[in-house]
Amino acid sequence: MSNADQFGELLEAYALGALDAAERAALEAHLATHCPECTAALAEARWLVSQLAYTAPEAAPSDMLRGRLMKIVREEAANEQVTQKQRNRALADAAKPAVPYWMWAVAAALLVVSIYSTWDARQLQQQIRDINNRAIAELNSREKIEEELDAVRREASILSDPASVKIALATSQPNAGPLQADWNPKLGLVVSGQRIPTPPGDRVLQLWLIPKAPGAKPLPSQVVRPDANGNFVLLVSNPPELLAETKALAVTEEPAGGSPQPTTTPKWVGGVS
Amino acid sequence: MFLTALSPKQTDEASLDIMLVQQVLQRDMRAFEQLYDRRCRLVYGLVNRIVQQAGTAEEIVQDVFLQLWRNASQYDASRGPFLPWLLIMARNRALDTLRLKSERQRRREDQTEELPGICTVPAFETQLDEKRRVSRIRELMTGLQPQQKRAIELAYFEGLSHTEIAETLKEPLGTVKSWIRNGLLRLREGLQAT
Repeated sequence: MSNADQFGELLEAYALGALDAAERAALEAHLATHCPECTAALAEARWLVSQLAYTAPEAAPSDMLRGRLMKIVREEAANEQVTQKQRNRALADAAKPAVPYWMWAVAAALLVVSIYSTWDARQLQQQIRDINNRAIAELNSREKIEEELDAVRREASILSDPASVKIALATSQPNAGPLQADWNPKLGLVVSGQRIPTPPGDRVLQLWLIPKAPGAKPLPSQVVRPDANGNFVLLVSNPPELLAETKALAVTEEPAGGSPQPTTTPKWVGGVS
Repeated sequence: MFLTALSPKQTDEASLDIMLVQQVLQRDMRAFEQLYDRRCRLVYGLVNRIVQQAGTAEEIVQDVFLQLWRNASQYDASRGPFLPWLLIMARNRALDTLRLKSERQRRREDQTEELPGICTVPAFETQLDEKRRVSRIRELMTGLQPQQKRAIELAYFEGLSHTEIAETLKEPLGTVKSWIRNGLLRLREGLQAT
């Protein structure tokens, strides 16, 4: 008798649960070897034993059992739905970004506003700087105009004042006329010329005061460059020497900016009487 | 998966059971009600026959069906039809209750915590409807020798072992073993001949 035959006789009793401990242990050890015949036969034996349930007397449970059971099931189903909804909500929340979309939108808007404000502030600052610069330029221009007006007024005063001494500065240049100087002891000295040849390049005309003192060097005064028509007016508000102590006025051609000592022979000279 | 696991021999009723279990798995309460209404009388009759007390039997039936509702996925259609699985579960629960009352040592193949083993419908099984099946099984049981019938009933409904049955009936152990084995073989042959 093979193992399958030997244990096969026990299978129905095993499915029924009637085997004593020793036989049950021996059969289970054999089943653990996955004997195909016994495994298949045991599966059919279980089905056969299950059919014995039909031999029990028919009986129906109370309606109360049904009601009780369905009540429990309904409650559990409702709880499961709530739990599932909470789980779905948690999943949905987890899927959401930590910062809501609307907050990103607000942040982006604030960033745009901030950038615009910065740009606008810089524009305003630039405009303020431009206005300040224009105001300063206007002031400078006005001051210059006022200075020019003062100079013109002073020149006019010097020219019209009877106390002013008129000095003619003669020249040996054939194409240039004389220069006119008016020296007022209080208001200053005015030198003017018309149709004067323009010095070459950037060279200028420089006024010199020749002191009466023997051996004294010429005192440098202001420089001027005639306009396109050869005209100029030179105002010396504070001459370097007093009228009474000056022997003559001279004008030389000098490099731009003037020189501390004459570098050329005077082109115009006029004695102070 | 459930439907593909059905063998061609399984009845329409067995197929309906499996479809309902599948719907219970989807938390369909109406399917559960339908399944209960279909099987509660058989399960209750079996359990009540074992525990012999209506209140206890109802508690056990409630536990069995609640386990089905809560753990329908424990049923694997590839391991056999649903009804034998349910009946084995119910019998195990009922016998556990009896054992607790009598503090008898466990000796059965299955225990409540474990799921029923693979159960196969024999090749000879024909598509009997429920009423004809009940009628046929009872007819075959009645046709057994009284000692065979009594020994099988002591094992199935009271969970007694061969030795306990021999002691109860005051018969030799070998005789009891033969009664049970031959009685079950006769039932099998009777069903095969149906």
